[in-house]
This record gives sequence, structure tokens and C-alpha cells, in this order.
Amino acid sequence: MTATAERPTTTIFRRPSSTKGLWSWITTVDHKRIGIMYGYAAFTFFIIGGLEALLLRIQLSQANGEFLTAGAYNALFTMHGTTMIFLFVMPASSALMNYLLPLLIGARDVAFPRLNALSWWIFFFGAIFLYSTFIFGTSMAPVGVDGVGGVDGNLAPGGGPGSFNFLADSPDGGWFGYQPNAGPLYSPGTAMDYWALGLQIVGLASLVSSVNFLVTVLNLRAKGMRLLRMPVFAWMTTITSFLLLFSLPIIAVALFMVTFDRQFGSLFFAANAGGDPILWQHLFWLFGHPEVYILILPAMGIVSEILPTFSRKPLFGYSAVVFAGAAIAFLGFGVWAHHMFASGITPVAQAAFGLATMTIAIPTGIKIFNWLGTMWMGRIRLHTPMLFAIGFVAMFTIGGLSGVTHAVVPSDWQQTDTYYIVAHFHYVIFGGAVFGLFGGLYYWFPKLTGRLMNERLGKAHFWLMLLGFNLTFGPMHWLGLQGMVRRTWKYAPETGLEPWNLAVTVGAFIIAFSIFIFMINWFTSRRRGEESGLDPWDARTVEWMAPNPTPEYNFAVPPVVTSLDHFWHLKYEEDTEGRAVRVDHADEMLANIEHDQLNPVSPIHLPNPSYFPFFFALGLPIMFYGVIYHRTPWGKALILVGLVISLAAVIGWAMEPLEEPHGDDGGLAEHDQLELAEAAVSPEGSDPVLPPAGGETESSDD
Amino acid sequence: MTELTHEASLEHAHPEHEGTGVDDRKLGMWLFLSSEFLFFGALISNYLLYSNRAGFPGVYPAEIYDIPFTSVSSFVLLMSSLTMVLAHNAQSRQDVNGTRTWLFATAALGAIFLGGQVFEFTEFIVNFDMKLSTNPAASAFYVLTGFHGTHVAIGVIMLLSLWGISRRRGGLSDKQGLNLELVGLYWHFVDIIWIVIFTVVYLLSVPPA
Amino acid sequence: MSSPEHIHHPSPAQYWKIAVVLAVLTAVEVAIYYIHRDFDLGHFNTVLLLLLAALKFVIVIGWYMHLRFEKSTLSRFFTGGFILASALYTIVLTALGVIAIRGG
Repeated sequence: MTATAERPTTTIFRRPSSTKGLWSWITTVDHKRIGIMYGYAAFTFFIIGGLEALLLRIQLSQANGEFLTAGAYNALFTMHGTTMIFLFVMPASSALMNYLLPLLIGARDVAFPRLNALSWWIFFFGAIFLYSTFIFGTSMAPVGVDGVGGVDGNLAPGGGPGSFNFLADSPDGGWFGYQPNAGPLYSPGTAMDYWALGLQIVGLASLVSSVNFLVTVLNLRAKGMRLLRMPVFAWMTTITSFLLLFSLPIIAVALFMVTFDRQFGSLFFAANAGGDPILWQHLFWLFGHPEVYILILPAMGIVSEILPTFSRKPLFGYSAVVFAGAAIAFLGFGVWAHHMFASGITPVAQAAFGLATMTIAIPTGIKIFNWLGTMWMGRIRLHTPMLFAIGFVAMFTIGGLSGVTHAVVPSDWQQTDTYYIVAHFHYVIFGGAVFGLFGGLYYWFPKLTGRLMNERLGKAHFWLMLLGFNLTFGPMHWLGLQGMVRRTWKYAPETGLEPWNLAVTVGAFIIAFSIFIFMINWFTSRRRGEESGLDPWDARTVEWMAPNPTPEYNFAVPPVVTSLDHFWHLKYEEDTEGRAVRVDHADEMLANIEHDQLNPVSPIHLPNPSYFPFFFALGLPIMFYGVIYHRTPWGKALILVGLVISLAAVIGWAMEPLEEPHGDDGGLAEHDQLELAEAAVSPEGSDPVLPPAGGETESSDD
Repeated sequence: MTELTHEASLEHAHPEHEGTGVDDRKLGMWLFLSSEFLFFGALISNYLLYSNRAGFPGVYPAEIYDIPFTSVSSFVLLMSSLTMVLAHNAQSRQDVNGTRTWLFATAALGAIFLGGQVFEFTEFIVNFDMKLSTNPAASAFYVLTGFHGTHVAIGVIMLLSLWGISRRRGGLSDKQGLNLELVGLYWHFVDIIWIVIFTVVYLLSVPPA
Repeated sequence: MSSPEHIHHPSPAQYWKIAVVLAVLTAVEVAIYYIHRDFDLGHFNTVLLLLLAALKFVIVIGWYMHLRFEKSTLSRFFTGGFILASALYTIVLTALGVIAIRGG
């Protein structure tokens, strides 16, 4: 390989240059490596969140379970939800989007590689910050009217026997953090501060990457790739980024308000002082409902890539799928109050939001029928990615249908806070997003490793997961309809809920086992899997025109796109009866493509690695620890230390030469402090446009 | 020389790609600013919710606004948008002294505005005993105007950085000229948010009857 | 790519004139505020002040931020964000009873 990242000749700071080892990962700005880090982090949190779920299920497997204390139970369901949404599904989507977006649109990297690294490190430190609550956080019972309380994490009377009470010292207000329950009065202690500030950091990461992805899609598409020639996954990444861009500021404000309430004595949600808890619900769900689509749309994009490939047909109604995605996103902003039907909003609002919610079924239905239409009459190959894609369509449809039943307000009143709701959103998020993500992992594994995952293990994983999933979440429908309430750590034997609960627990363990199979498959296939070659799936889109594993520069020769499914049309043409026929020289052409892509004719300039995203992100959690303990002198010191680290990184970032040969960005002014970097940007080695103006030039250079 | 800088200015316009033709960073800035509407919208709504809700203890912000004072500081911020755009104009005409002067003027006006805000907060807290924790209306007022002030402060820092670079290097390159444009966009945005705040939060806000 | 925009940009003299307009509008706003205090203008007060603010808002965006002279992509995103925010928070404030209270 002749491709090299050229090193700058004049710098103030020595730029990191290692290509192997820990520092190369810390300083990388390569979207693929960043995607990989996102992926492993997300999967780690998937395991952690899964273990939390298993503990919950052990507790509920029998009536009057005595495995967990009430406090530990509250903490575990809070952290399970928070983890799975913010630390697993979102970063897992982010992993695939990061790795694939530039490849899908035929680009060498995202628009702002250093900001991309910044997003990842902010996410990473935010997640660590959030989880450090298990070590540093405290959760105390509210001080009661008689002034007692403030004891241990057992809100419920007595708490009863049970283990794992040490877990109780963590956030326990639910992933939705309803106020005033999660406010200073009813959740004293620091655990909910870790939750609010941790989510604040993680959210910032997503905001930064949403701008980055949008600019990438809008400005960096390969020649000829018009917007309506983009792969659907690239489209869904775009739409998801818009959702993030417009919904994250809302939750940022809401979380700031919580933090001000808890730390600085403001009264936004203090019901006893005139604050309005319903305001929290509005702000939270204004973000929270788009968030649902943030979780599902990437998976829909993945499935829209897999189904045509393995049906050997173009996606049925490409533009309808794209516009339906946009319509889902748009409507998704207007339905948030359906989470609040039981919160006493007016009948008019209930009717309006109920109707709006039902309309979402229309674009969603369009998508489902398009996917079915894609498979219809296709020559279907049931490889593992295809199985997951079909599983997605089936399971997501079930979840979607139970969702429509919540749109009917009186029906929703019966379902609110029961296991029926739990069943619904797991069908959508697990049956939907997670199945889609796994499908994507199997499908694009060769891009990562140049190898295929083992089909036998993959199929075992799929069928076990499908079985375990339905055994876990199917019976929750009837448990909910029988009146089993959410977020309650015990139920009485007389309720008759025990048999199905036991089944649910068994199902959860089957899922866990299937994930174990996946892990074995992943780690063995990475080293010993069958070599994939350039085009293992007979694919349709241009990311498969880059060699496997993907070289650092992605494309030596950026593709010039002439149609939707460009790659497919290079390989196939229509015969007189309109059937697709592989062109004679297809194999030769593929060999040529691979050869050309592996052997760049001239050096390719890649963005240079940088220390500063890492250190900028490192400052944030330190600052936020300081905020939590700001009443103490060392808390104030921490704020200062964090600020200094981040500020130093910003200055370093700004001083880092921009005039690298092609590629690096000046750091998009995204986070406010980053804008400083913008302002202070001072390219070394480039002459200013203007001649120095006589006496004005000061020799204050350091 | 000219060729080189010209190339640098086009670097982010990607002639070899399909795209909008708008510079990456500028596009990113506009996207970021459009999301800021949601940020300030939430804070303003928050204020509107509480500002005339009856029955809170203590003083309501709307009872103690000093409209003449705030009008002046609003005027100052508004005029800083003029100086900002003049700085940008001077830069595009490669007028080094003009750029520098107007940059400094913008930063100075921003600093005056911030000084006014500090004075206002101090006045409210010391003379009227309206603290963050007095009532939800006060909380909403301080957090809204505080976040706006933070934005202004960040803008001032960025302006001063540009000014410093211009002084040290005898002018701004084309690329830094783009930075100036981006800072300008941010600055004007902060100004239009204040236009809304001044009208909705100050002029139209009434204490509960 | 970026050069044509400079052709259309207003001149410094025009920027000064725009500033004068903005200053006058602000003065009118403050005047209306005082008139309303002494002679109750009722809803006119709200409507007038909001209109004046909107005018200033549009002038700064259009001319000082040059949005009038930019590619339509930018104004689409920007107005999109603004309209979305306005719509969402109007609904929230209506649901919370704030807007109805003010209207009555």
C-alpha cells in the first residue's frame, strides 16, 4: 500500500503519529476506527444492561420474590432502561453509521473527522461518568414529615430480605426521570445527578455527530450520487440526524433544569413550591418520542439494504421508503403527548394526539409493505443477515400493531404502566432495532474483517434469539392485560401471574444464551472466518466496491455513481424479457475493481490523528463531577480542573495546523466551546492573505 | 500566493463531490444554529409558563424590570450586530484595520451588554431579594437570561481571539475570514434570540394580577 | 463557489441604514410599551410588539446574516428549525394552559 497520511512539516505540537497500539486508538480520527470503538462500547453496555435485566427477571420469576431489595430493583430497572437506550442502541447505531456512512456515499471520511472523534470520546466519558454512580452515587429515602429517613436506598417499606442492595445507590427514578420524584425532595443523594449530567454529556456527543453526519451527507457524496440515489441506510442516517439535531436541545434544557433544581435551588419542577411536573413530561417526551424513531430508523435503513440484496431484487418503492422515513420522523415530533394520556391532559389534546399517533401507522405500514414487496417473487437467500431482516419485519409489525392500540386513549388508560406497554416497546426496540442491528453486523462484518461470520452459529443465534425474544416479551402482553404493573418488584401469589412470569424469565435467559453464541461467532470469525472477497453477498451498493477489510483510505478510486444500486447495475443487465442477467465480464471487472482500490496510484492524504478530541472530552466529566460536589472546595476545584483541561484542548485544537494536505476540518463550531476553536484557528505554514500592516505587527509570538 | 489562498478557501467546498456548494463548516454552523431555536424555545416557554402564574412567594421578575435600562442594553447588543457585519464586510474587502476595529467594537459592545446583565442580576438579588430559588418564575428568568448571557460571553471570547490573531499576524487569512463569518453568524443568532427575549420576556411580560 | 455571494452583499452604508431602521423599531417598541402602560392598548399591544420583534428578527437574519443571499438549502434548514420550535412550544404552552390564559 502506497497510501500514506502525510505528516505536517511545521507544527507547534508534535502530532500523534502511532498507527498501532493504545495511543493510535485514542488519537484516531478515522471514521472506521471510531465506529469500531462505538461498537465495542455499545456491546459492552448491551451485556451490562442485559445482566441488569436478568437480575430483574430472577426477582420476578416467582411471586413475592426475595432476590432483590426494592431499592435495588428500582435502581436496576432505571439503569437497564437508561443503558439500553442511551448506551447501547444509540451508540450501536452510531457505530454502524460511523463505519458505513462515508462508504455508502463513496467518501473517504466524514466532513469533520476530529469532531467525529470528539463525539465518540464525549460519549465514552459520558457513559463512564453515568456508570460511576455505582461507585460514587448515593440514593437516600426522602426525609419524611416526621423528619426521619435519609437512610438507605429502600424507598419501599422495609425493603424486605434480598441481596444486591449495594446496587440501590444508583439512579432509581426510571429512565424517564419523572419529576418531582427524581427531584431533590424525593430523590436526595447524588445518584439522579449522575443520571441527569451523564445523559447531558452523552446527548452532547449525539448532537455533535448529528451535525457531522448531516454535513457529510449533504456535501460529500460521490460524483453522481444524487440524494435519491443514496442507499436507504444513508437516508435513514440523515433523517435520524435531523431528529437528533432538533430533539436533543430540548432534553438538554430539561436536564439542565433538573440539575439546577437539584444543585442550585431553582424550583422548576418543585410541585410543593408551584413548579409544574407536567412541564417535565412535555419536555422529556418532546425529546423522548423522536428518540424512539432515533432508535428504530437506522435499523429500518439496515433492513432496507439487506432485504433487496438477499431477495436479488431492487427495493420495492425506493422513494416511498425514503419519504415514509421522513414522514415518520416528521410526524414523530407531533405525538409526544401520547405518553401522557394518563397525566391529566385535556380531552382535546388527548383526541388530537391519539389521532396524530394513529397517522404514524400509515408511513410505517408503507414501509412494511414495501419490504414485503421487495421479497415478493424474489429469489430469496436465507443467509443470517436476511433472517434477522425478516425477523425485524415480523417482530416490528407486532410491536407496531400493539402501538396502535395505545393510540386509542381509553384503551391506553387500561394499558398505562402495565406490562402490556413493556411488551410493546420491547417488540419495537428489541424486535425492531436490535434485530436490525444484528442483521447489519452479520451483513457488514466482511467490511470490518475481510471475513464472513459463521453461518451455522449465526442461524443458531437467530433462531434462539427469536424464540427467547418471543418467550420473554410475548407473555408480557397478557401479563399486562391481566393487570401486572410495571416497576413493582413484587406481586402476590394470588394474582396468578406466576407461570407466565417464570416463562418470561426463562425466555430472558435464552436470549442471553443466544447472545453468548453471537459473541463466540464474532470472535472466532474475526480470525478464522471464511474469506469474503470483494462482494460476498452479490450486493447492490457502492460500499462493496471498497476492498474488505476496508483500507484506511476507503476508496483509492472514489466511485462515480450513475444510478441507484450502482454496483448492481455494473454487474447485471436486463435481457430481452426484463430479467437481470449477470454481464459476461462481471468477475473480471470485480477483480479489477479490487485491484484498483487496493493500489492507489498516488498518495492519499488522510486527516491526521489528534490528541485534542480525547482531552477535550476528558474535561467534561471532571467538570460535571465538580458540579455535583460544587458545595465542597474540591468540587469547585474539579470544575476548574475540568474547565482548564477542556480549554487547553480547545486551544491546542485551534493551534493544530489545518493546512494538512486535504481532509481535516477546522473543527465545526458545534459545542459552544468548540466555537472558540473556530475563532482561534490559526493555520501554521500558510501566509496570511494580507501583507503585515506596518507598525501593527507585534512581535508577541511565543 | 493568491492562488494558494484561493485554493484554501475552496477546500471545504468539495468540487469533486455532489453537494450543496455551501462550505462544510458554514453548513454545519447553520444546522447547529437551527437546533438552537429548540434550545432557547424551551427556555422561553419555561419562562412564559411561570412568569404570571399567581400565588408564588416573593417578587416576580416582571414586577421589577428596569425597562429603560434593559432597552439601552438591548440597543447595545443590537448595534453590536452592525459592528459585526461591518467587520465581516471589512474582511471581505481585505481592510485589515477596519476588520480589527469592528471586531474589537463588537466584542466591546458584547462586554457592555454582559456588564449590564451582571448589574441587573445584582440589582435583582440585592435590592429586590429575587433569587434563583425565590419562585419558579425567578428560576425561569435567571436560567433563560443566564444561558443567553453565556452564549454572549462565548461569543465575546471568540471575537477577542480573532482580534488577537489579526493583531499578531497582521490580518486574517481567507480561511480565518471564514471563521470570522462563522463567529458572525453565531453572534447575529445570539442577537436575534435577544430580540425575542426583549419583547416577549421584558416588554410583554406582566406580573399576575 | 463562495465568491458570487459577495457581489450581492449590501454595502457598509446600507448596513448603517439597516441599523438605523433597527434602532427606530426598538424605539417604537419601547414607546408602545409606555403608551400601553398609560392607555391600555389591549391586544394591540401584544400584536404590535410581536410584529415589531418579528420584523427586527427577519431583518437581522436576512441582511446581517445574509440569509437572503445564501443558497436556499440554508434558509430551509434554518426556517425549518424555527417553525418546528415555534409549533412545538406553542402546542406545549397551549396544553399547559398558558396561551389560552393570555388570550383571555
